[in-house]
Formats: sequence, C-alpha cells, structure tokens
Amino acid sequence: MRIKLWGTRGSIPAPGPETIRYGGNTSCIGVTLSDGSLLALDAGSGIRSLGLALGEEPARLHILLTHLHLDHIQGLAFFAPAFLPQTEIVIWGPASPEAALRDRIARYISAPLSPVEVRELPCDVSFRHCPETDWEIGPARIRAASVSHRGPTLGFRIDDGDSSLTYIPDHEPALGADLGRLEEDWISGFSLARDTSLLIHDGQYSDAEYPKHVGWGHSALRDSLTFAHRTGAERTILFHHDPLHSDDFLDGLGAEARRDWAALGGKEGAIELGAERGEYELPVRAPSPIATV
Amino acid sequence: MTQKPLELILARNLMSALSTPAFLVDEGGVLVFYNEAAGTLLGRRFEELGTVGPDEWGSMFGPFDASGAPIPYDDLPLVQAVRNGRPAHAEFAIRSTDGVSHSVEVSAFPILTVHGSQGAIAVFWPKQAHSNGAGPA
Repeated sequence: MRIKLWGTRGSIPAPGPETIRYGGNTSCIGVTLSDGSLLALDAGSGIRSLGLALGEEPARLHILLTHLHLDHIQGLAFFAPAFLPQTEIVIWGPASPEAALRDRIARYISAPLSPVEVRELPCDVSFRHCPETDWEIGPARIRAASVSHRGPTLGFRIDDGDSSLTYIPDHEPALGADLGRLEEDWISGFSLARDTSLLIHDGQYSDAEYPKHVGWGHSALRDSLTFAHRTGAERTILFHHDPLHSDDFLDGLGAEARRDWAALGGKEGAIELGAERGEYELPVRAPSPIATV
Repeated sequence: MTQKPLELILARNLMSALSTPAFLVDEGGVLVFYNEAAGTLLGRRFEELGTVGPDEWGSMFGPFDASGAPIPYDDLPLVQAVRNGRPAHAEFAIRSTDGVSHSVEVSAFPILTVHGSQGAIAVFWPKQAHSNGAGPA
C-alpha cells in the first residue's frame, strides 16, 4: 500500500507562506493498493492536486468520504478526472436518515454554490452508502465505522495483505470520557485502529486550545496520543491541522507530541505530524507493481 | 472485543455526566451500563456488577407494583422501548441492596439509528424527591 497526503489541513484551506511546509489544502489522501487500485480518502481541496497527478489516462477510482463537512468534499467540483468521460468514480460515504448520499453531495455541486451539477459530470460516477460490514476493493478489505464527531461521520480501516491503514481525521473520542480509563470496547474508533500499521488521526488542537473547543468534534493532542497508544497503532500521523496553526506552531506541537508520546512509553519515531505531499509505503505480503498516485 | 455502537458510546458518555439515574441496554436487551446516580439508588455501582443479561436484570431489584407484586419483565418500559422502538413510561418500586424500597417513575426511549435499533435508555425519577419539589435525584 502506498499513501500520499494531498491535504492535511482541517476546516478551511489555509494557503500562505506561513503554512507552506505542512500545507494548506484540506483533507485528502491518495492510496494505491497492492494491485494498483486507487482510493482517495476524502475530497477536500487536496484532491484537486491528486486529480492533476492522475493525468488523462482512463482511471477507476474509489473516493471514500468520512463525512460531508465542506473541508472533506470541497475539492470534488475541481477534481479533473471527474470531467473526463473515460473516468469511473465510485463515491462511498455515510448513510443519513435525512437524504441519500448523492442528494446530500448534490447540495454542494449545484447552483448557487457550483456552476456544474452532479448530473452534468461527464465521468461515470456512482454513489454508495458504506455498508455496516466489511467490503472489498481490489485486494483490500475495507471497514467503515461511525466515530465521534458532529453529524454522521465514519472512520475507515483498509487492510491490504499484512498491512493496514486507519483513517480517522475528525474525531473526538474523549468527549465526556476519560480515554485513559475507558474499556476498549467503549472507545469510539478503537476497533478500526487496533494494532493498525499506520493511523492517520485528528490532531487539531493543542491541549491548551482544546477547552475552548469541547464538543466541536476534534481532539486535543493528549487525547490523540492516548488513543494511538491504547489502540497499539504502530505509527501515527497527526492530521487535520487547525487553519490557525502556522508551520512554526506545528513544529512546536510536533515536539510536544514526541515528548508526550515518549512519556506514554511510545516507540521513538512512531508519532509525527502530517505534511502535505508526504509519502508512506506499507509493505504487503506479496509485493505487486505499484502505480504512483 | 466487539466494539460498541457509537450511539451507545455517546449515550454512556452523556449518562456519565448526569446526576439523574439512568440505565442503558443494547439491542439485545443486555444491561450494558448505568450511571453513578443509578448506582446510588440501587446501592451497587455498575463497576461492581458489570453487564447483566436480559433474563437477570429485570428481577434483580424488583420491580414491584403498588400492591407489592413483581412486574413482569415484558412490561418494563426499557424492554418495551427496545422491542417496540417506542418510548414507554411507568411507575413502580425497586428495592436497593440495603432492602429499602424506592418509588420511581421511569421513562424509557429507544436509540434508533440509520442501521435500526441499537438499544434503549431508561431514566428513573425517584418519586419522593419529585414530590418534595427537589427535582430529580
């Protein structure tokens, strides 16, 4: 499995000289499975760059949306492959009692917010609610589970061979709970992240910032670290950076994370802050040719 | 380990912060949590008791009707909320571990999600406290 971070920011794009190293694009991760199948996790503004990198070759792509907050879908209308008739896109997302996934996304890709309507996209696009049980894409087994955030929100686990990627970008598992003491089965997202090879997790707030944002659906640093430690994730990338956090601030937050991680007894080098265009490779049992996203 | 549904996790977290006695059962009717206030009412903390199957918890602390007769399990509001997917309300008495009887009003409501019922919550209102105008215990 090959993973590339195309957007690491939360809430709203934050481009500028002060965010150039960690990036200003909102949530999007490209995943290339061991057979070359392509996934995009969320469609924040980072998916625009992913689309440009794919070029005009015929492509079949699965987009897995954790939820429909704007910072996770705003790149859809600017995803170049969606405007190519040879592209096939399957969009997966959370079910809602309110309306079907297609109709909820169409609220954004329609007037007056967008000059294009979903029905006008020349690609072959379909919309599917994530099932309650595991399903397969190429060689990977995908699992989606509801996690603690505002509104219907999913986390994903992707198992490909011996490796697994867990993606929970918007998550407040410590809301009303003491993560350090709670039983494992009562922790939001725990089964998704248990013993995962790579955990990409919400790390929006510093511990000092969090008290003013309780209930907003995001984690304090200490809670992200506790979650990562308790689940036994081999490696963790803190993600969904607050738009107010400059590169310098995030450098300091990263240092704090490494110090606190060590205090928890975590393995050195197993915690880091996600930076746009960062690439990771997770070995699989039977190596296959890998296409670069 | 089977992960609890998110709706139960959030319900437990909310109940943990309440001073109103509250009980939580899963979709199978298993008592999976009650809060500290409920533990005070019953005389036993949930951490001491642990999860209790549907064939046990209904008779552990009563409940009894006004004449002192046991109330059938099927008639309990929590059971009705899980089975029928509708809110239910009743008045009865329970007996705590110290043998003291407590008259309570009970309101139960189902936890319904896009994936169907995930369980139910019951809130107990001690009648003595209520009649004293002191509000819920």
